[in-house]
Amino acid sequence: MNVQRISAIFEKDMKDFMRNITMLMMPSISIILALVYNGMGIGGGEDEYLIFTIYVIVGVTFSAVTSVCMVTMMAEEKEKKTLRGLMLSPASFVDIITGKSLVTGLITFITLVISLLIIGFEPLLNVRAMLGLILMFLFFLMLGIGIGLFAKSVAAASAYSMPVMFLFGFTPMIELFGLGEDSIAIHIAGVFPIMQAVELHDTNSWLPLGIIAIWVIAAALFTYICFKKTRTDD
Amino acid sequence: MDNTIEVKGMRKVFGRKTAIEQVTFNVEKGEIFGLLGPSGSGKTTTIKILTGESTQTDGDVNVLGMDSTRFGSSDFKSKIGILSDNSALYERLTVHDNLKLFCKLYNAPLKEVDVILKEVNMEDERTTTISKLSKGMKQRVLLAKALIHKPKLVFLDEPTSALDPGNAAQIHRGLQKLNEAGTTIFITTHNMEEATELCDRVAFLNNGRLQELDSPGALRYKYSTHAFHVETFSGKRLVIDNEPENAGQIKELIENGEIKAINTDNPTLGQIFLKVTGKELVS
Repeated sequence: MNVQRISAIFEKDMKDFMRNITMLMMPSISIILALVYNGMGIGGGEDEYLIFTIYVIVGVTFSAVTSVCMVTMMAEEKEKKTLRGLMLSPASFVDIITGKSLVTGLITFITLVISLLIIGFEPLLNVRAMLGLILMFLFFLMLGIGIGLFAKSVAAASAYSMPVMFLFGFTPMIELFGLGEDSIAIHIAGVFPIMQAVELHDTNSWLPLGIIAIWVIAAALFTYICFKKTRTDD
Repeated sequence: MDNTIEVKGMRKVFGRKTAIEQVTFNVEKGEIFGLLGPSGSGKTTTIKILTGESTQTDGDVNVLGMDSTRFGSSDFKSKIGILSDNSALYERLTVHDNLKLFCKLYNAPLKEVDVILKEVNMEDERTTTISKLSKGMKQRVLLAKALIHKPKLVFLDEPTSALDPGNAAQIHRGLQKLNEAGTTIFITTHNMEEATELCDRVAFLNNGRLQELDSPGALRYKYSTHAFHVETFSGKRLVIDNEPENAGQIKELIENGEIKAINTDNPTLGQIFLKVTGKELVS
């Protein structure tokens, strides 16, 4: 890992981000959603739906900002062949990913802080919830990188991002569909990262964190395989 | 003589298609080596294998004393510069921002940005966004990007294809200067004049096979018929073989003041390529 190379990639991506209207719009989604929920009277610390709402906001932030921004950045680099230039430079896989992740991480952090300040953040002020947030950030980040590398174009990457956003980002919304508790969809959704993070607030077990960690490992593997495939033309 | 590149029995197969078949050659340290061939002959695949963007199916490939398993290392990548069809720039950023990024990635001093911009005649465009540059200007910035860290070995895949003759000539001078400073240059081109002017040695690649390898001068001599082509003031065009018994005929033409022009048969690399492969370099 080389700090100079990471900072060079960070600086370049930050400049590029500030000139990309599409990516600049993404953080507004979760902030607007937080304002809408706040306008509906949800939040303020005592609300029974607060945890559910917080994780909807967290899910939307991680999927729309972390994943989609990362997908767009990687897919654009791949489509315009600039990624190959980075790969052929002395920068390592870790340098490239870390530099890019710092940009996404910073934007995600700012978006999340603003959104949670609007809706409320008290339930997240404990070690397990914080660890859950960090693991989920890593999961959505890896997923974004992997999809960006997997897709052949920016358009294809955007198409792949949509189901990911709905499946992983909006998972808590499944409870609004009125499905029975025995529904297979509810059971499957129950093991998704966001639902495991919600679960953390109902139990003292560390198992939900373990399950989220497994999702992170799976996403990291997916990303690594896609990166190896992108590096050469074989 | 030290070899910067050593290729022995290199073969590359994509599915059922053989792109490179048993190619063997060396590139000596400090030389400009040209790989000539028509589209689809395997030039780009060769460059990709030599730069680690692809791996050979068979054979030994050694570049800068490293075998192909080490082509992914930072050490290897910091010693080579590449300009190929896979090279690109960040369109939303300025010329300076693009080069500054690669300066930092290669751990080169930032002052090199201005030095290299001057060398490729782009110093007036340093604050211009890449998307606003012409194709030729972009090509010059790409070349600057490939050279900014002063690599020991440079791979150039059709470096002047998008440039007008003036800019191409300037790039040629820059490459010669770079080569005089000790950089080994591996170049692929369709441009026979470029190959003749720049390259110490050239190799002909056709259907993935290497068919000739020598200096342009030696190849031109080898494929010359060694005949004299004489044009007289009376409009006659004579081809006189370079044989002792023909000396009298040439002497007589000179003495009679009949010769308007006299040339030796000196085929171009393009003509030699056609003779060797049966194909035009540019289709």
